[in-house]
Amino acid sequence: MTQNLDLTDIQGNIIKAYGAYNYQKARYLFLRIDKGDKGRKFVGAITTKVTSAVPWEKSSKDTDSAVKPQATTNIAFTFAGLKALELPMASLRGFPEDFIMGMAKRKDILGDDGPSDPQNWDNIWKEEVHAWISINGQSIDAVIKRYDWVLEQIKASDGGVTLLTGHRGENGEDDLPYQDASVLYDATGTPTPKEHFGYTDGIGDPVFEGQINVSARVLGRGKLTREGNWEPLATGEFLLGHVDEAMEYPQTAPAPWLLALNGTYMVYRKLHENIGTFNRFLEEQSKHFPGSKEMLAAKFAGRWRDNGAPIVNAPDDESKERWDKQYAEADEAGRKKMLTDFTYNQDITGAKCPYSAHIRRINPRGSLEYGVKDAYDTPGALVNRRRILRRGLPYGEVKDATRDDGNHGIIFMALNVDIQRQFEFIQQQWINYANDFKEGNDKEVLLGNHDANNPGKVVLQVEPGSGKPPHFVSKIPRLVETRGGDYFFIPSITALKLIAAGMVDPT
Amino acid sequence: MSNIAGKAYAMNVITPIRWYMVWINRLIFKIALNRPSTLKGLITLSLIHYARWVIIPRNAFPRLDENQPKEDLNYAYMLFFSNFNGSWDQYVDSFTFAIPAGLDLFWKWNVRYPKSVPLTPFHDYIRHNQIDTAHYYNAYPMAASNDVKSAKKVKKALIDFNAVSSDKAPDDFLKDYNKLLNDLQLQLGEMKPTPIVSLSSYEVKKRYEQTQTH
Repeated sequence: MTQNLDLTDIQGNIIKAYGAYNYQKARYLFLRIDKGDKGRKFVGAITTKVTSAVPWEKSSKDTDSAVKPQATTNIAFTFAGLKALELPMASLRGFPEDFIMGMAKRKDILGDDGPSDPQNWDNIWKEEVHAWISINGQSIDAVIKRYDWVLEQIKASDGGVTLLTGHRGENGEDDLPYQDASVLYDATGTPTPKEHFGYTDGIGDPVFEGQINVSARVLGRGKLTREGNWEPLATGEFLLGHVDEAMEYPQTAPAPWLLALNGTYMVYRKLHENIGTFNRFLEEQSKHFPGSKEMLAAKFAGRWRDNGAPIVNAPDDESKERWDKQYAEADEAGRKKMLTDFTYNQDITGAKCPYSAHIRRINPRGSLEYGVKDAYDTPGALVNRRRILRRGLPYGEVKDATRDDGNHGIIFMALNVDIQRQFEFIQQQWINYANDFKEGNDKEVLLGNHDANNPGKVVLQVEPGSGKPPHFVSKIPRLVETRGGDYFFIPSITALKLIAAGMVDPT
Repeated sequence: MSNIAGKAYAMNVITPIRWYMVWINRLIFKIALNRPSTLKGLITLSLIHYARWVIIPRNAFPRLDENQPKEDLNYAYMLFFSNFNGSWDQYVDSFTFAIPAGLDLFWKWNVRYPKSVPLTPFHDYIRHNQIDTAHYYNAYPMAASNDVKSAKKVKKALIDFNAVSSDKAPDDFLKDYNKLLNDLQLQLGEMKPTPIVSLSSYEVKKRYEQTQTH
């Protein structure tokens, strides 16, 4: 089944990871809607500049496409925000429980405890957040220009909306009115796809029906078939109003149909990275690891830090050299294939890519069949309903790589139609728990909510029958801490116009 | 009242089946038991402690006592009884997408069974016919099915190792010990309390624990 998406109706941030389109800078704003009517008028004003998912032109003759803007704008709302905009109760009651509650109240599911507890979040999250506006720019000037425009709209709302302050910043501030984010640059000033721990990020985003150029991108990113091919996932895993993998329309859609169609849910999380602890931990652990420090770092993530090589195809230092050579010789399409097109079928024991590795945990591909031939209806039976689109950028700068208390981390955004079934399930069952991987309560190394008083371990498997012991990574510290976030609804552009006009009617 | 105890979820589902179709289900069960490959998906779904299907004939519905009047039933019933890790809501997707044909085969002749895909009617069918658990005791609340399987392997391997290792020279001992770890490398997950299954069950548990401490 192929289908064409109405790209003019879908907000651009759902379809495009702007960072991959040379939008190196981003600014995220959070607002409170104080008055329903003026708030709706404000939404209408912002909607005029909301970036759709229409492809950007490659040449000036390309009339079906839009001109690539210097800055993009997108908007989304919390449940409280939709209430403040006075959506009818008959619409509000159709939203799912997770979205209605919001992220802070889901802390016991997400494992946001200790340093990640909402009481330790940035000040802004101590207030009720209603709306999120994102600006992505090809330069910081473009971001600021659009930001100034948004400020004008806020002013023009005449008390209708308030820009909330309380973000932590680069110089110890705790009251900033926005959260900035940016790609990281190498020593020569060239933008890189890295995050602060040094890993190459954002490689394996899911591919679904209706996206452009699917056949070129689907390898390793769609769903695995019994024949070993890759097909795009159902659109309804990522966009409301479309059929999902369960052959039905997502049950998380509010009424009326037009309010939900082409919208989705977004999980916004500010994740602080404990750089000093990570560096010390990696150094310490690599002393007794039978391989290089980089190889150990790769075992944590499932990818090598320098170029993202999947460790399942480059399992040690020697094979990594060979992989790099082949990668250097490959063309653009070949490189993409090398980065994404793999399974764990030849690695059922985890000797190459351990079961605890980040990418094996968040997307086990066909490996939950554990090598039992044709065990399930399809190899990805336990996986295809647990995928998320990942958006976002690093924030802050590492000024002292021995310390944790700087301003550095990732603004992580996950997009899915069912937060509970997709994002929360991955976070709770696969990152902070491991029964599906037969690893008991062993948490994923990098993102797990490791307990300082009772630190956990993981087992890095080795070749079975080799007589060699597996490697134990023990006393894992909390490497990533939640600093804030919430659950948002990203409406379609039609729905934005309905909301702005106060014309949402589920009757 | 809760269907949850520790890491286990108890599920009792009782669905009507036309009495004159019962023989088909009995035949299906027999074939499934004789051909283990039909249950391969169910067994690979490692979160299941236990699953059992039982046909209760129309005239054999259990009574607590001889004095309890016999019911005059129109249908025979199929009882599905299972303990698994996680909850039905959390794992319905896993069941449905892993073994849709198996589920359909077992329930096919049950009254108003909707098929396992699309998912929502199936989810609702099970929920509608589910008898919630009034009392549920779990002697090992921290043990998931996989933890039990792993522990059995580790225990046996350790006992065997101990029996042959006590007099070994240090170098040989180390070699054997490393081999033991290698053999057990997929069974060494840590066992700690369950992640919360749902916020409501978590609240219930917290309130219950409060009453126990006063």
